[in-house]
Amino acid sequence: MKKELIRLENVSKSFDGELILDDLSLTIHENEFVTLLGPSGCGKTTTLRIIGGFETPDNGRVIFDGQDITSLAPNKRQLNTVFQKYALFTHMDVAENIAFGLKIKNKPQDYIEDKIHYALKLVNLNGYEHRMPGSLSGGQQQRVAIARAIVNEPKVLLLDEPLGALDLKLRQDMQYELIRLKEELGITFIYVTHDQEEALTMSDHIVVMNQGYIQQEGSPEDIYNEPENAFVADFIGDSNIIKATMVRDELVSILDTDFVCVDKGFGENTPVDVVIRPEDVELVPRGEGTLSGTVSHVIFKGVHYEMEVQAGGFAWLVHSTRLYETGSEVDIKVDPFNIQVMNKPESEDEEVLAKDD
Amino acid sequence: MTDKKTSRLLTSPYIAWAVIFILVPLAMLFYYGLTDVNGGLTLDNIRAIAEPVHLRALLLAVVLSVVSTIICFLLAYPLGMILAKHKLSSQGLITTLFILPMWMNFLLRTLAWMTLLENRGVINGILDFLHLPEINIINTPGAIVLGMVYNFLPFMILPIYNSLSSIDDNVINAARDLGADAWQTFFKITLPLSVPGIISGVTMVFIPALTTFAISTMLGGSKILLIGNVIEQEFTLTYDWNLGAGLSIVLMVFIVVNMVISAMSEGDDSSERRNVKRFFSHTSGSDAGSGKDER
Amino acid sequence: MRSKIEKIYMGIIFVFMYAPILTLIILSFNTSKSRARWGGFTFQWYINLVNDNSVLNAMANTLIIAMVSTVFATVIGTLTCVGLMGLRRRSRTVIMGITNIPMINADIVTGISLMLLFKVLRFETGFITVLLAHITFNIPYVMLSVMPRMKTINPNTYEAALDLGAEPFYAFRKSVLPDLMPSIIAGALMAFTMSIDDFIITYFTKGSGFDTISTKIYNEVKRGIQPEIYALSSIIFIAVLVLLFASARMRQRQAAQRKDVALYKVEKRISKGKAAVIAVASLGVILLAMYFGGVFTRKNNQLFVYNAGEYIDPEVIEMFEAETGIEVVYDEFETLEIMYAKMVQNDGAYDVICPSDYMIEKMMNAGMLRELDLNMIPNRKYIGKQYMESARSFDPNNSYSVPYCWGTVGILYNKNMVKEPVTSWDILWDEKYSGEILMQDSIRDAFMVALARNGYSINTKDPAELEVAAEDLVKQKPLVQAYVIDQARDKMIGGEAALAVIYSGEVIYTQRENPDLAYSIPDEGSNVWIDAWVVTRKARNPEAAMKWINFLCRPDIALMNFDFITYSTPNEAAREMIEEEDIRNSEVAFPDESILDRCETYFYLGEDGDALYNEMWKKVKSGK
Repeated sequence: MKKELIRLENVSKSFDGELILDDLSLTIHENEFVTLLGPSGCGKTTTLRIIGGFETPDNGRVIFDGQDITSLAPNKRQLNTVFQKYALFTHMDVAENIAFGLKIKNKPQDYIEDKIHYALKLVNLNGYEHRMPGSLSGGQQQRVAIARAIVNEPKVLLLDEPLGALDLKLRQDMQYELIRLKEELGITFIYVTHDQEEALTMSDHIVVMNQGYIQQEGSPEDIYNEPENAFVADFIGDSNIIKATMVRDELVSILDTDFVCVDKGFGENTPVDVVIRPEDVELVPRGEGTLSGTVSHVIFKGVHYEMEVQAGGFAWLVHSTRLYETGSEVDIKVDPFNIQVMNKPESEDEEVLAKDD
Repeated sequence: MTDKKTSRLLTSPYIAWAVIFILVPLAMLFYYGLTDVNGGLTLDNIRAIAEPVHLRALLLAVVLSVVSTIICFLLAYPLGMILAKHKLSSQGLITTLFILPMWMNFLLRTLAWMTLLENRGVINGILDFLHLPEINIINTPGAIVLGMVYNFLPFMILPIYNSLSSIDDNVINAARDLGADAWQTFFKITLPLSVPGIISGVTMVFIPALTTFAISTMLGGSKILLIGNVIEQEFTLTYDWNLGAGLSIVLMVFIVVNMVISAMSEGDDSSERRNVKRFFSHTSGSDAGSGKDER
Repeated sequence: MRSKIEKIYMGIIFVFMYAPILTLIILSFNTSKSRARWGGFTFQWYINLVNDNSVLNAMANTLIIAMVSTVFATVIGTLTCVGLMGLRRRSRTVIMGITNIPMINADIVTGISLMLLFKVLRFETGFITVLLAHITFNIPYVMLSVMPRMKTINPNTYEAALDLGAEPFYAFRKSVLPDLMPSIIAGALMAFTMSIDDFIITYFTKGSGFDTISTKIYNEVKRGIQPEIYALSSIIFIAVLVLLFASARMRQRQAAQRKDVALYKVEKRISKGKAAVIAVASLGVILLAMYFGGVFTRKNNQLFVYNAGEYIDPEVIEMFEAETGIEVVYDEFETLEIMYAKMVQNDGAYDVICPSDYMIEKMMNAGMLRELDLNMIPNRKYIGKQYMESARSFDPNNSYSVPYCWGTVGILYNKNMVKEPVTSWDILWDEKYSGEILMQDSIRDAFMVALARNGYSINTKDPAELEVAAEDLVKQKPLVQAYVIDQARDKMIGGEAALAVIYSGEVIYTQRENPDLAYSIPDEGSNVWIDAWVVTRKARNPEAAMKWINFLCRPDIALMNFDFITYSTPNEAAREMIEEEDIRNSEVAFPDESILDRCETYFYLGEDGDALYNEMWKKVKSGK
């Protein structure tokens, strides 16, 4: 087990009477790439700002390396932040930006020079020392922002949607670079994003948040394959979320059709939600599957076809490499392992939680 | 999008206008300033600035306007920070309240201080009522400085507020994050980033203060002669137009040199003053978005 | 704690900004003219203001100049911006550079350069010149607002519209104009505000008989603060407040509406209706302003009168207009020197003027005056013989001028503050009265005091004697509270000062208002003066001017004027009709020979003499 580094204990925060974080507890370990994932307004950025020290929680504590830092000023914390839209100092050149933290700490001049050189090399920006931030592209500015943060050798790097302003291609490149950086530096990254793909690609550990609550924590595989509720299922990738009834262990009635599954312990005749990923829905000729339907839409997506199938009064989303023309009569078949059964939200509160953004 | 012919057609009225009403008048000013009564070429009107009478008026104007500008800055900067910190929008009630006096006629604002400061004026009336010693500040340089500060303070608040509120919060956070304490953050980040606003504000206050003649007449009891008064009197009292024009040229050159120096220190063009002047329209109404386009 | 300090700080600045304005508003309801005392609540000053045509005219002028110049500037500015996009970058830079000149230049330089232009072009200064000046400094505001937006507009929009078969203008109106609109409106509003607030440029480019609210206030303030001005301030302040908050509310509502796409069309229809209302309203205001503002100056039947401040009973002007059907455009000057400077600038600006003795001589010498048609002025016979005789000192044949008022210059003092007898000018150099002395802000009168004190002639041209006088005046300066002209009267009534150099004509009035005041002509001697009406050589309506002079010589009219302005009248018939005996025989208004023997009239000193006095005066004014 890795060593615990940061712990949030029962943190709450509201702005103007609106509750943003409600009794949130979270543990982050050393040398982890942790992603806080959720739609805008879910509280992920606020969580990050509380860790960074830019907000003070109304209740609860922040423990860093065993010490309570809840009300410690940001400049006294051993972590650095890469901000949304970079937040570079536009009146200083690249080298001055990077040197800022070191100069504040009165490091010797040659040490600073070395560090600038090292950091620029690390982010592939050699030779950019005396450019002004305004003359750099978005990706380059982002690299400067990262370099500015890491020269201070923080134990934790906080990244607040750092790739949000970049275009798709650049974003993908930067994702790999961030992973590489994290490996090279060997420090903890706490990364905030609303992009599930980004989260799945980079993280060791994902924390899915919505409306101030943690919905689910786990490895990318756990989160994708076994969403604990409809919100997570829906937020992580495309999925078919359908109201169903657990007839008994290992048998679930979906749209009045019985499907075999592997889940147990829900009791008999219990209302549940099921999640079936579109790539897990098999289309077979009429008579060979469990549920009959008609293809109503087809879009070619390159890797696969995306089809919509009307079956049992529900529009199923299906990804398949095999094409069925619009109007084809087909049957639907699902492997028992690919049916993910989830408890229905019990209270009104949870209902709210489970609702999509 | 418009072809050459249409372009010429559309711009020619203004070009004609600008030549007749901007360039030719300036040429007139130079013509009068560089000639004597009989039309002979002379530099006497320019050299006249070296006469003790004129030099003293110019120096006094410079001193008073510099003092006023500094006071305006010291008053406006903290206010701008407070307004910007609380995210009070430029069209919001509170910010508007601080800018509002600007729309009141400038002479009425000065008149207000005349009323307050007179020997038997409002302030002394109140002091008298409270059995406190009276103050006698009217018709002194102090009263003129007060009048300048009062009149031009909004012109300082607005651009400073404007540049402060355009600083991204995260830039401040970044400085804190990198280990700077509150003072270091202010002097290394906030202050340098608000320099364009400060320069705008300083120009907006300094130039009208330097060239005013109404404030010094009204609050100085005609006892204190600034360069503006001297020039005005050359035209309205002693009708030595050549001298008046000559001194105007000196004043103009003085201002231009100042602007160039401040522009060089900022590395920006000389558009600061007009930027600020333009900004007023955005607070005075209409679309706020277009104000940012120019930056 | 921190936020408390912030609030206190904001509070202090807030008080600093609004306390003066609030004071003006409170004083506008104060019955007492005194600034330090509350005399009860009144609306009188508002009523006076509304009845004051000159203020209404000035307001109308301000609005019409602002509106018309805004419209012109907006149209020219916008067209230019559109056109500039099609020009080469170089020419664009040059044009924008020129546009920046009025923005960067000090207003005083812009104002003076335009004034020189109008002078050289021989434009008649007035409405048109002010309008031209305002358009000139307004265009840059529009262009600098529109240009940045123009640059961001995608030419494809326009080309796409053309591609769809639209006429060029139609394409522009439908595709480019809507995008530009916000910045055009911003520029127009800016221009409007700047035009309304302008003082300096208007001051230099306005002509005779034309005032905007700014120049009007400046004149009024120089004359002494009248409570009507407080009323005006309150009205302007409230108007600004209402307009600003109304526009803020409107913006908020629009912003809220914009969120709702469904409402968009409704909004559009409303705004069309609104635009129509605004258009009609502005048209109405312009017409109204034209009616009040007398925009189209110089009608045939007009008489331009130039007189000293508050030197006539306004009712007399109305009576003259009613009796003759001639419309009087009435302007006031502060000092004779200012009047003369104005005449140099435009010697045809006025038909009939009322200068003093030495100035009449000077104007005669300069060929500015016209011989009177004495057949048209039969009422001249009411003027006392001795005054006609005195007038010969400057008008040898009595053919250019008809005496209007006369008097002496002396010291007005407050008996509560000055316990000693006032017999010498020396008292004005007495340190005891430091800060309590008001001097005349006019060259001849100020020097007269210093010259008489030293026993020199008040008409001396001897540089050495003048040097002594100037030194005396510089020495006196620290003791002087202010150099004033018409303000002296109000300040003395209000107890602002202990001693003032003043014209005898002010004495009866000030004593009526404040019985503590007394008048003395120092033993060293003083100036006796005669003000007389003259007609300018370039007068466009000399006939009306003669009628005017004749009218003022009518005994009943002269009496009305005397009652109102309390300056000694040379009109014997009028004097006979004065009811109060103590005034008819007042020592102040009609001093006896022994006093007049010590007094001298001013003579015209010639150009060299004037230059010498001017130079010395500047030295005094800028001295320590």
